[in-house]
Amino acid sequence: MVKKSWVPYFFLSPYILFYLAFGLIPILFSFYVSLTSWDGISSRTFVGLDNYKFLFNQDSYFLLSVGNTLLFVVLTLPLQIIFGLIIASLLYSRWVKWKGFFQLVNFLPYIVTPVAVGLMFNLLFDWQAGFVNKLLLHLGLVDEAVYWLGDPLYARMVIVLMLFWKGFGYTMIFYLAGLANIPKDLNEAAQVDGASFLRIFMSITLPLLKPVTVFIVITGIIGGFQLLEEPMMLLGGSGMGSSAAVIGGPDRCCLTTVWNMYDTAYGSTTRYGLGAAIAYGLCVIIAVFSFIGARFYRGEQQ
Amino acid sequence: MTNSLRTTLGTVAIALLSLFALLPFYIMTIMGTYQNEELFSKIVLVPGNYLLENFKTVAASRFDLVYLNSLIVSLSSTVLSVLVSAFAGFAFAKHEFKHKNKIFAAVLLTMMIPGQLGLVAYVIEMRYLGMSGTLLPLILPWVANAFGVFWMTQFIKSAVPTEVLESARIDGSSDIGVFFRIVIPFIYPAITTLSLLVFLWSWNNYLLPLIIINKPELYTIPLGITSLGGAYRTDLAAQILGLTIGTFPVLLLFAIGSKSFIRGLTAGSVKG
Repeated sequence: MVKKSWVPYFFLSPYILFYLAFGLIPILFSFYVSLTSWDGISSRTFVGLDNYKFLFNQDSYFLLSVGNTLLFVVLTLPLQIIFGLIIASLLYSRWVKWKGFFQLVNFLPYIVTPVAVGLMFNLLFDWQAGFVNKLLLHLGLVDEAVYWLGDPLYARMVIVLMLFWKGFGYTMIFYLAGLANIPKDLNEAAQVDGASFLRIFMSITLPLLKPVTVFIVITGIIGGFQLLEEPMMLLGGSGMGSSAAVIGGPDRCCLTTVWNMYDTAYGSTTRYGLGAAIAYGLCVIIAVFSFIGARFYRGEQQ
Repeated sequence: MTNSLRTTLGTVAIALLSLFALLPFYIMTIMGTYQNEELFSKIVLVPGNYLLENFKTVAASRFDLVYLNSLIVSLSSTVLSVLVSAFAGFAFAKHEFKHKNKIFAAVLLTMMIPGQLGLVAYVIEMRYLGMSGTLLPLILPWVANAFGVFWMTQFIKSAVPTEVLESARIDGSSDIGVFFRIVIPFIYPAITTLSLLVFLWSWNNYLLPLIIINKPELYTIPLGITSLGGAYRTDLAAQILGLTIGTFPVLLLFAIGSKSFIRGLTAGSVKG
């Protein structure tokens, strides 16, 4: 049989062509745009690294938005990991009935359109019609409605709760997959030797789940830094509920990096160059923190 | 502790956590069945009787058109992405060519790049190509999908026997014929998983349509949901029902396909 050398290239070419046209070329051109000052209408002027220098200026809100996003990741990830692991262990144990049903229910929040997640929590924490305030008032726990989304601290708390709600089922399914991969005879041997459940969990299960945890931490950082819709919808901008539309919430306390990029290029201003520079800054930060996240976890284990 | 007591305790613990997961859905659904004024005056815990009226309000905003747009975008993205990924996966898994490993590594590397990196220029590109008045800009970015290529390569490598391919070629099948008649039937599970993933990703996409789509006739679900607030600002109950209608069908789809969907998500995480 004659091996035709063009065959693999034929099968590969659609992917390569589409990636070049709608992936790589925009990425490269975005870098060029990030070196210019441009609003999309008037002519582009080359400004070198000025946009990148401006990222460190307070007026760009870049560092603030990175700090906010990092705060959300740092507060949410441990919660998701702990609860995801607890639920996965319970579901994997012999002590729970209707496993498939519970697995599905806890995973549902992750599938919901992010826009809808933000709006749902906007409804729950609305100060006038929100369920949470009504419940608190009804039970007599507060004297007057709490302005959850108008206070920087409370707004951040609501975001952490919302992200936790959305994400714990996601970590759960990864731990379930990890648990299923641990050889059963390891646990059985330890049981025969008289090890307690807790001892087996700490000395066998947890170390063997390490690759899963590393994966969750890294994807959690990558995904977390791309946070946009949930806080954007939670804090208004859609006209739903009664909260006023503010960029980034009260004092921009919940302005995330991607939200900042959107607002810079397509919202309050149309500074394409600065928007593209924010995107590149975001990419660098994601790379750095994924690296640190992986290193930190490995160091802790040794 | 007896085993049955443990089972009861374990199940109760999981049930409580599940309640936490379900509560926001429940409240959202219930709120959509009340008249607007009632939402502000009392706590609503059981279904009300205003569902039909709210539904009429939502139907008047042509929500069906928004659904249709989302279906067009997500189905086209899914079909194209799966086909292109399977093509590339077939090349990587069952063919030899120059720099194969390097190209494969490069594809994997692009998985790490956040989608927003090229966004500004992509929007300019779409305007330049005159596509910003169509749904195409929402479909094209999904076609070259690095995860899809990775997924298909792994699956084709292990699921498609090379001998079967060889014998089909000896029988005179063309390479395209081999792909569609031999490879495809072997990889149905991988196709299902990847389809569900791409469908969900494109269905939930918000930033790109928010920037590119500027006429209501082309709104997809996430845009449609957010624009409900502007459509009838005073009718919160109708907005909430719109939110419910926009959320539930896709949840149902994924409840049905959850097994293969989860398999796709967790691919590669376990072996680290």
